[in-house]
Amino acid sequence: MSEPMNPPAEGIEEMSAAEALKGPKFAVDIDETDLIIETRALNKRYGKLHAVNNLDLQVPRGAIYGFVGPNGAGKTSTMRILTTLMRPTSGEAYVNGFSVTQQPREVRSSIGYMPDFFGVYEDMKVWEYLDFFAACYEIPENDRPGLIRDLLELVDLSHRRDDMVDKLSRGMKQRLCLARTLAHDPSVLILDEPASGLDPRARVEIRELLIELAKMDKTIFFSSHILADVSEICTHIGIIEAGEMVAQGPIKEMRKQLMPHRVIIVTLLGQIDEAKEAISQLPDIQSITELDPEDNKPRLRIEFSGEDTGVSEMLQALTTRSIPVVNFAEESSNLETVFMKVTKGIVT
Amino acid sequence: MATTRRRLRSPLDLILSNPVALKELRGRMRGPRAFVVLTGYLIVVGGFTIIIYLATTSASLSTTGEVDGGTVGRLLFSSVVAMELFLVTFITPAFTASAISGEHEHQTYDLLRTTLLPERSLVWGKLFSALAYVVLLLLAAIPLQSIAFLFGGVDVPEVYISFITLLATATLLGTLGIYFSSLSRRTLRANIMTYVTAMSIAIGTAMAVIMLLSISAAAERNAISKAAEWGLLLLQGLFVCLNPLTTLLISQDLLINQQQIFTFEHEFTDGTTATLPSPWIIFTILYLAISAVIFVRTTWVLKRIDD
Repeated sequence: MSEPMNPPAEGIEEMSAAEALKGPKFAVDIDETDLIIETRALNKRYGKLHAVNNLDLQVPRGAIYGFVGPNGAGKTSTMRILTTLMRPTSGEAYVNGFSVTQQPREVRSSIGYMPDFFGVYEDMKVWEYLDFFAACYEIPENDRPGLIRDLLELVDLSHRRDDMVDKLSRGMKQRLCLARTLAHDPSVLILDEPASGLDPRARVEIRELLIELAKMDKTIFFSSHILADVSEICTHIGIIEAGEMVAQGPIKEMRKQLMPHRVIIVTLLGQIDEAKEAISQLPDIQSITELDPEDNKPRLRIEFSGEDTGVSEMLQALTTRSIPVVNFAEESSNLETVFMKVTKGIVT
Repeated sequence: MATTRRRLRSPLDLILSNPVALKELRGRMRGPRAFVVLTGYLIVVGGFTIIIYLATTSASLSTTGEVDGGTVGRLLFSSVVAMELFLVTFITPAFTASAISGEHEHQTYDLLRTTLLPERSLVWGKLFSALAYVVLLLLAAIPLQSIAFLFGGVDVPEVYISFITLLATATLLGTLGIYFSSLSRRTLRANIMTYVTAMSIAIGTAMAVIMLLSISAAAERNAISKAAEWGLLLLQGLFVCLNPLTTLLISQDLLINQQQIFTFEHEFTDGTTATLPSPWIIFTILYLAISAVIFVRTTWVLKRIDD
């Protein structure tokens, strides 16, 4: 199933209050109709196993697209088809307008691929590793030293230029691999579980790097089963389960569609009934429930379907009536909840 | 600017513009391994030469009372070449049988496949780097071969012929190693397949030559037709030219007895003669042609996309 992607994402303006508090991580205008990766009824079968089932993937140009699903859901199979490493059983796949089965060479020059394992030669120096892959991408010898310098600077490995690759830490190897995918300046990066197996610090570094790359006009299509990584940086997500696309689209749309209500928790010092009454008179209120008090302070849970102005009016309504508010916060609709809601827990 | 520089490139630059060849050569010569192998190889060949020298000189002394320089020289030379052949047969597949399977084992194969590197460049780079090292081994042993010159009985063309024959052998074994390596994801399996094939060729052709020799000896006694004699000769020649050892022995024999490098005269039972090319020429052509076929076949295997 493919989600309709009607209104284009509007960058920072549309961020929810909770997101705005975190500060904008990444914001860009994305034309939802300009697809850089597209699959139509893509299927991959291994004998009886249906690894990819009628997948319609739509990744707009410039997006950071998080491809989420449990292990064995078909993420790697999809990526191997997109990177020309595997033939689909049926269906079509296009990258940058090129067919993965008919124009593999064009596809290869459009993509930078990082598999879910390191793939480094141990008997090489860091710069030789990049030089080798740059040469494999037919970058002229004279251009390579400058390119390697820039790439190492980007992934913060300039100081390890002459070290042997096998002396690098896991996180550094991962960054080196990412630098390798950029050697030929591809428009799309296809990254299979880029943060898996990394310590928290290295994970944050990779995440920052991906945001940096998105700012350099790269489309990033990456898979993950770690939802925190996805929700923090993605502009788009696709949720795959048992080879099928369960939901996909801009992350804000997904949140709206799947979690239509915003939840606001208000903590008071007293006057709970007045508070309930004041809020119930406002528009777009779906429900008001009393929660167990915390430190003897009564709390209200308000389900609300309006916009930010409505939230501000709610707070105003309480304060104008001199109701003692100690805390007024929106419960961020986290992706985990979305994920749990749409997936059924079937793992192939 | 870049184009003018490219035009001025030397052949070495052209070879090194193959990223795989450059990477493999760098990797191979880095660290002690390459030098350990070279030293070990020279110790084995050198030690063997000394043993042969001691054995032949004492043997020659005991029979005739004085050393026959020519015999000792030829025997020394043949022994060194045979030893080189033996080592090349073992070392070359060891270098190339890991060519593709090693990339799978290091999980770098997928990375290479998603680059723009053509399959033929991958195979050529792997083969070239392996052969370059074999050439180093062969060149390093030339001084040992040349000890034979001190005794006489061996001429410079024999050195060339042995070098070409050994190199052609290494080329075929090298391509065979890469071919099996492209079929298997495990280096060990590729190694075994290459050795088994190499041994089958060596033993199979040698046995065929022995069998055909006894058949032709019997045929000569029974005065068969000339056509049959030709047929037998060509068949025998084919098997001789498929085995580096028989090729070397017969080429050397022809060189010594007929002083012919490129051709030799064959006398039929009816007294007529025919001029035929020396086995090492046919051997080299055959081995390089088979290598080329296997090379192309390997690139096909690599071009295939997984289903």
